Amino acid sequence: MNEQRHQILQMLAEGKITADEAERLIAAVEREQPEPPGAALRPKTRPKYLRVVMNSEDNPGGDGSRLNIRVPLQLLRAGVRLTSLLPPQALTRINAELDKSGVPIDLAQLKPQQLEELIDHLDELSIDIDDALTKMRVFCE
Amino acid sequence: MIPQLVTYRQRRADGRWLRLYVPVLPVLLVLSPLLVLAVLGGLVACVIFHISPVGALRGAGRLWCALPGARFEIQDASMAVSVSVR
Repeated sequence: MNEQRHQILQMLAEGKITADEAERLIAAVEREQPEPPGAALRPKTRPKYLRVVMNSEDNPGGDGSRLNIRVPLQLLRAGVRLTSLLPPQALTRINAELDKSGVPIDLAQLKPQQLEELIDHLDELSIDIDDALTKMRVFCE
Repeated sequence: MIPQLVTYRQRRADGRWLRLYVPVLPVLLVLSPLLVLAVLGGLVACVIFHISPVGALRGAGRLWCALPGARFEIQDASMAVSVSVR
């Protein structure tokens, strides 16, 4: 767009077009420029914290239990990066134990980049669990 | 940004709150001899378990720097504990 604008200004400087025409041309060039995809949909501020809130009333009439945890997403990312430090022999043992427990997941195939993508997409996560006595909510803010 | 202040709050049996404000940097300075020993122990453990010491230090540093903003509150009947890191 900068090149087109430059050409228009050059034509104006050379006297080939008037100031009004230059203004109209620049406006037309700006209209033609499409917005980057998803720019309008992207939220202005990214969530920074993962919140876990639980309210439980085990004893009706009592105070009940309350849990309120706020974890910075950056902390989750840092924790996830630590998994790349696990030595191969530890991964092998973990995989064997997972397999024994009926969870056939190969942790060696799990790349730190994939885990970071998982954390990145947590901002869209919202879990609500409503029980008769307990309410639990997991979300990002 | 490293953590600067850790706030610990606990509700006592009489309903009053015990509040502890722990300034992290001064406490770290006071405990620095122990900290050096702990880091050395960690590095030795890294070598024993075939973990990259540089990677472990970097990872621990990232975790440490990501702590500000964390908050944990647990309340069960009259007992309540709250820990927040700023």
